[in-house]
Amino acid sequence: MSVHITYFGMLAEMAGQADEVWTMDEQLTVGKFRGLLLEKYPSMREKKFKIAVNQKISEDFVPIELAAEIAVLPPFAGG
Amino acid sequence: MEKIHKPKKVFVQGPISPDFVSKSIASHQSKTTIGAHAIFLGQIRADQKDEGIVTGIEYSAYEEMAEKTFHAIREAAFAKFELTCLHIYHSLGIVPTGEISLFVFVSSPHRRAAFEASEFIVEEVKANVPIFGKELIGDKGEYVWKENG
Repeated sequence: MSVHITYFGMLAEMAGQADEVWTMDEQLTVGKFRGLLLEKYPSMREKKFKIAVNQKISEDFVPIELAAEIAVLPPFAGG
Repeated sequence: MEKIHKPKKVFVQGPISPDFVSKSIASHQSKTTIGAHAIFLGQIRADQKDEGIVTGIEYSAYEEMAEKTFHAIREAAFAKFELTCLHIYHSLGIVPTGEISLFVFVSSPHRRAAFEASEFIVEEVKANVPIFGKELIGDKGEYVWKENG
């Protein structure tokens, strides 16, 4: 399966890119994705961030469907 | 019958001008069931950071999700309070210190609902809308990422 990942704010700087596509064999959950992300970008361990799946902030148990749109969101700063 | 509220455009490029605010007020003078407006304006502060003085904030957003979240906040506010009208505007891009980046405009027959709804909306926007901000510092392109407390 493949998922499209978008990084925002300081997390895009840490990833060195605004978006990428991951292709993988196994079924993903948000928690599993978070683990893989921190393995790939260890500096993100220091940061607070939320994960949105198809534009909805999602907890670790949520499964990630085929061709999902994943967004990695740093702390919000609106206002 | 329940009223349907269409999603509205929230984001504006750059600062929100006082002229835009005053025109928004004027455009509600024909709505004579309104007895109270509450207006909240967020203005960029020249905070002193370790790195220097903030000269402005550069906003970006996960726009599709942000628009959806703004819409959900509007729906929640209409459900919770007795409102006639409700407008939210937020800046994207650079807003220099002293200028306006958030404009919440709530209208109701009575003051209590207007006060309470405006506070509710501002808190919801700060907590739940995926907007990101760089606090720009000095004139050499330095910045720190802003984080709502």
